[in-house]
Amino acid sequence: MTNGVTLDVDLLRRYDRPGPRYTSYPTAPQFVPGFDEQALREAAKESNGDPIPRPLSVYVHVPFCTSPCFYCACNRVITRDRSRGAAYLAPLYGEIDLAAGLFDPDREVAQLHFGGGTPNFLAPAQLRDIVATLRRQFRFANADDLDCSIELDPRALRPSEVAELAAMGFNRASLGVQDFDPVVQGAVNRVQSVGETAAVVEACRRHGIGSVNIDLIYGLPHQTPGGFSKTLDIVLAMRPDRLAVYGYAHLPKLVKAQTRIDAATLPTRDAKLGLLQLAIETLTAAGYVHIGMDHFALPDDELAVAQARGSLHRNFMGYTTHAESDLIGLGVSAISHIGATYSQNPRDIASWQAAIEDGRLPVFRGMRMSDDDQLRAALVQQLMCQGEVAVGALERRYAIDFRSYFRDALVRLQPLIADGLVQVEPDRILATSPGRLLLRNIAMCFDAYLGEDAIPARFSRAI
Amino acid sequence: MTAKEKPVFPQSNARIVSDDGDAFNFCTTCAFSSACMDQGMGKRELNDLHMLVEHIGPFHAGDPVFRRGEPFDAIAAVRAGSVKTSIIDQTGHERVLGFHLPGEVIGLAGIDGDRYPCDAIALDTTTLCRFSFPRMAELASRVPLLQQHLFRLLSRDIGAAQRLTGDWPADVRMAAFLLTLSHRLAARGFSSRRFQLTMARTDIGNYLRLAPETVSRVLKRFQDDGLLAVDRREVELLDRPSLDALAAPILDS
Repeated sequence: MTNGVTLDVDLLRRYDRPGPRYTSYPTAPQFVPGFDEQALREAAKESNGDPIPRPLSVYVHVPFCTSPCFYCACNRVITRDRSRGAAYLAPLYGEIDLAAGLFDPDREVAQLHFGGGTPNFLAPAQLRDIVATLRRQFRFANADDLDCSIELDPRALRPSEVAELAAMGFNRASLGVQDFDPVVQGAVNRVQSVGETAAVVEACRRHGIGSVNIDLIYGLPHQTPGGFSKTLDIVLAMRPDRLAVYGYAHLPKLVKAQTRIDAATLPTRDAKLGLLQLAIETLTAAGYVHIGMDHFALPDDELAVAQARGSLHRNFMGYTTHAESDLIGLGVSAISHIGATYSQNPRDIASWQAAIEDGRLPVFRGMRMSDDDQLRAALVQQLMCQGEVAVGALERRYAIDFRSYFRDALVRLQPLIADGLVQVEPDRILATSPGRLLLRNIAMCFDAYLGEDAIPARFSRAI
Repeated sequence: MTAKEKPVFPQSNARIVSDDGDAFNFCTTCAFSSACMDQGMGKRELNDLHMLVEHIGPFHAGDPVFRRGEPFDAIAAVRAGSVKTSIIDQTGHERVLGFHLPGEVIGLAGIDGDRYPCDAIALDTTTLCRFSFPRMAELASRVPLLQQHLFRLLSRDIGAAQRLTGDWPADVRMAAFLLTLSHRLAARGFSSRRFQLTMARTDIGNYLRLAPETVSRVLKRFQDDGLLAVDRREVELLDRPSLDALAAPILDS
């Protein structure tokens, strides 16, 4: 994959249609209620039986936020009542206890991630207690091999608290910014100063949280090229190691908070693409490498290095340098990926907590992947991480004839080939430079669950 | 799949399954095929032997094929899948006796008494050919070739169980174990280079008298040294000469 990103606005406009983000394949809408606790237990047991069991990744979902950002589609609970956080810990510890019992004691945790919501809704002492509980129940990899990351809201964090996070072992932080333009911030109900953001970035660096990611969003209400350009300049001055630039998906029918956004104030589709173009050009000029989808990194960042080496992976936490792992999702709505299964916790705290208090693993839906699912998941993973599909390797691994197995997909790929997004070579299928912005569209050609019918409205648009 | 590539165990071998036995031909996977085909059994005896066969299964992973203490009345040949046999020792711990692949026979140890002395558990989706033993014994008394073959199977079964339990280092035992599986699968038309370990690492460890962590550690070292690659349950033998050399003390003994 080359580093240059070129943009053909006309092309992007034509391909700007709804589709999954492929943090998993199959995607969550394919999960079924029949996949229950027993199925999860069997999957974990099976994974313990692997000759070399995979390392574990642990995700902890902290659902609370003190105020609603209107664009956000995450599972969250808006409250200023700090006791809600304290009350969340008992069931969480119950779940940690149940989950730890599933895995052989020699299996190592190589990745720990706190997401939300707002993980720092919890006090540092509470976070420390969660990490300590996890460390008691699971065997952790040595600090050098352990990715310990947390999503932070700089508005609710004193720089002194960053030192405490570093002391707990966090070595990566991801900060939400979205846009510094005060008009945009007002419209999305997230007022956050440059000063408090810079202070947290600086504190991370000072206390040894070596890798800082900043999230931006394009396509927000009242966003203008001038304002967004200023935001980009401010963010680049902080020199984050990684940057994510997400497209805002306005789906007020599905995401209640988004009804607070006046659709008339959203940039037009062309204006939105202009903002994306601006972001890509600015970041590329500043020396950032496009990792794939909406992610950028400095060329010496692990992700960029891993991508160059072909060892980049992607899971529910986004891109990662860690080899395939079994993912344990803890907390309300969290998703686990054990062996060839996905399973999800209930999306409301009451059901999640009730199951745990009953001594049951709180699974409310999931799925066991078929052989076909596993093959397509490997293909989508290659596409999302390396921007190409290794045809020969998949044929060998899954004992298929690629061209006949994927006959329909290759037909669906034809217009993308004609538009120069994809090149089909004898031994690989390659996303071209413009195609790398449309990896979702390429992956959709290989998605067995997207038939000829209209793409369901639950997915956000590709751009 | 390209024609020249052999199927990766336990993928069902379409060629083999379609080549199912009829009145005069046994499945190519059958443990008894050599008893009749290679050594010219008469048509009548062959037919008699066929009359004894009953296809059973599919059993799913964890299902018992038979349990220790159940009355011994039949032996069975694995048609597809794999079976683990084990006993519970005096201290109450499971001891894995062996793993049985397509074409291999389970239940032979029951000949000695009138009850099965061990458990036989399917490791994955498994089908078997069941031979009623009283009727087979009666036939064997009339067909010396069949009797010889039964004795041969019996002694092979005992030999295999004793081979890997010597006082060899962990990596020697592991290399010999993998190569033995590879040979046995190759003999049934499967790829000798790539195959799935249908048994859990605890079972491998139990069989080889190694802790499960040691199983993983040795395999990880083999992988780091480029001898093989492991992906979930699947193993690919990459450096056959080095593995052969490593396993030589056991396999050449």
